[in-house]
Amino acid sequence: MLKFTNTFRDGIGFDTVLVVMALGYLVVFSAYPLAYNLLMSFQSVDLFTLTSFDRPFVGLDNYREVLSRPETAMIFWNTVKFVGLSVLAQLCVGFALALFFQLDFPAATWLRGLFLAGWIMPALVVGAVWSWVLAGDFGVLNHMLRQIGVIRENIFWLSDPDVALYSVIIANIWLGVPFNMILLSVGLAGIPKDVYEAASMDGAGRVQQFFTITLPMMRAQLGAVISLGVIFTLQQFDLFAALTQGGPSNASNVFQYWSWQLAFQNYEIGLGSVVSVLMIGFVIAVAFIYVRSTRYEQES
Amino acid sequence: MGKTMIGAMAVGAATFATAAPAQQTVLDLWTIDDPGEYHYVLAEEYMAAHPDVQINVRTVQFGDMVNDLARAMATGDAPDITYIDNPEVAMFAQRGLLLDLGPQIAASDIVHTDDIFPGPLASVSLDGGIYGLPRGANTIAVYYNADMFRAAGLDLDAPPRTWDAFYDAAKTLTRPDDNIYGLAFSAIATEEGTFQFLPWIQMTGADFDDVNTEGAVRALTLWKRFIDEGIASRDTLIRSQWDSTGTFNAGSAAMAISGPWELPRMRGEADFDVRAFALPVPQEGAPRASALGEGDNVILKSTDQPDAAFAFLEFMYAQMDRVWNEFGYLPASDVTVKDPQYPEIYAVFEDSMRAARNRGPSANWPQISQAIQGAIQQALTGQATPEEALARAQDRIDRIIR
Repeated sequence: MLKFTNTFRDGIGFDTVLVVMALGYLVVFSAYPLAYNLLMSFQSVDLFTLTSFDRPFVGLDNYREVLSRPETAMIFWNTVKFVGLSVLAQLCVGFALALFFQLDFPAATWLRGLFLAGWIMPALVVGAVWSWVLAGDFGVLNHMLRQIGVIRENIFWLSDPDVALYSVIIANIWLGVPFNMILLSVGLAGIPKDVYEAASMDGAGRVQQFFTITLPMMRAQLGAVISLGVIFTLQQFDLFAALTQGGPSNASNVFQYWSWQLAFQNYEIGLGSVVSVLMIGFVIAVAFIYVRSTRYEQES
Repeated sequence: MGKTMIGAMAVGAATFATAAPAQQTVLDLWTIDDPGEYHYVLAEEYMAAHPDVQINVRTVQFGDMVNDLARAMATGDAPDITYIDNPEVAMFAQRGLLLDLGPQIAASDIVHTDDIFPGPLASVSLDGGIYGLPRGANTIAVYYNADMFRAAGLDLDAPPRTWDAFYDAAKTLTRPDDNIYGLAFSAIATEEGTFQFLPWIQMTGADFDDVNTEGAVRALTLWKRFIDEGIASRDTLIRSQWDSTGTFNAGSAAMAISGPWELPRMRGEADFDVRAFALPVPQEGAPRASALGEGDNVILKSTDQPDAAFAFLEFMYAQMDRVWNEFGYLPASDVTVKDPQYPEIYAVFEDSMRAARNRGPSANWPQISQAIQGAIQQALTGQATPEEALARAQDRIDRIIR
């Protein structure tokens, strides 16, 4: 008995318990749903067979169906545009703000704190606010643009198929900037001041310092922020639900929202699973880059 | 004080439940209503009249009902009675999950299928069986701002009856400089879009399984003109009926297509003379059609109390003459409503109800509806011509039905 408590307290028993708990959690809440989702993507599933495993296997039919739908190509490119533009703009604006608040001026930390407001708000609330800003007939943005004479006719931000996707991207950029700014601020604070001092003694200007010191020293942070940004952007669902529901006519639809529509609005659960399997593949690739970039950070 | 009261009531209820006689019948009822609405009110009344019956009412969000029911049926947790939106009855009935009420109705003194209007009756009928009783119905018509009609020189007492006249009136009423649209309706990519569009093509002889027709193309082209010519807002593509009618109430649109559920809010918000007329037809003499909304009370096949459940269904059905004034739906059967509220508008809706047609029936209704919404949106955004959009939709519908 004593031996047992001893192994538990300071021996291998305790380690085992910890590992089993972590592993058990991963298996039950991550591995099982992933495998279950993969299984469903090869089956014909509707709402009424959701709880039983005994469903007809249809091979690759679901994949063929998803890839042959006329809207698939458009939704794919929308997803690429949404992720690419969102991450790029979030990174640029976030980095610029981080650099700005790195300067020593009164209330810098205060102001930086205020920027977090956007991050704290639930995306659904952000979506509701943006939908008032972007509304076509009575929107705040159209009113402002008309007042200052930029436009004469209202722009239908949410219902014009040519602009709807960009409206969601604008809202998403606003939502993601604070996260980028904070992570990059942390990275900037970690760069020793004397490196800059030495550089300026050697006569390097601000721009030169940025490209020769700041950027290389921030490599790990930038890698992490980009990978996390891609993953968060691929998870962005609430803004679509609140702003455009992927419409009009899929003009602003993306894979993550489409997957939900297929599974829970059309009850074509097998097809919804296919879309999420395709997305998982992509996220794994991004996660791989993220792991690589943080490993570099640990080694250095 | 409020809290103590609730606490005391809860304790009282618990004591009552344990002290109740053994033969107490317990029925579980799922609804989309909130307390104070139809199912809650009628369950209270029924329990007061039948102390031996206990009805447990549970609210499920409208959008979650099908999901939650399917899950509950799979795990054996289904209620005895539930409310289902009418196009979805066929989906559950075809899978054998609903009780066929035919034999019970045949023996009933209260329910006579001949009294039920054809639209609502079709929505609960499948292969000779009757799988539910409508709790009421609703449909759509055109509300119009009589003040704007007068100002535009249109005849108040002869509202447009054909599509051409309707288009002309809407065009005349449109005043872009004052930010006033001639018409507000909903072409949103949800069930509401299908609900608003289907009657337009049904009037031309098309239907949910036959959308690639000349008449349907004409209907969709008319809708496209409303958007392209600025008669209705581009936001029609993303506005629900409730939001669209909100712009009518605010005086930003001269006409609005929607249903009777708008009336209470309209009375508070619209500070002008509101009237209504039935949906216009393609040309004089063409058959009429209107949408059929609202849902049905159904009994699940898994119930162990089919007789008690049917008795409660009969009771609810017998209250049909109260639904307009108390709950805001139209009667789904031939009853006389005494002193209806908003009598002129009631007359328009009651008349439209006779032309109301079912969506479906099809066991795959959600997918079919989605194909129709896709066609509407592709045509209105200009991604496809009405002909192409409807041909594509027909292609998908054929594959779904097959």
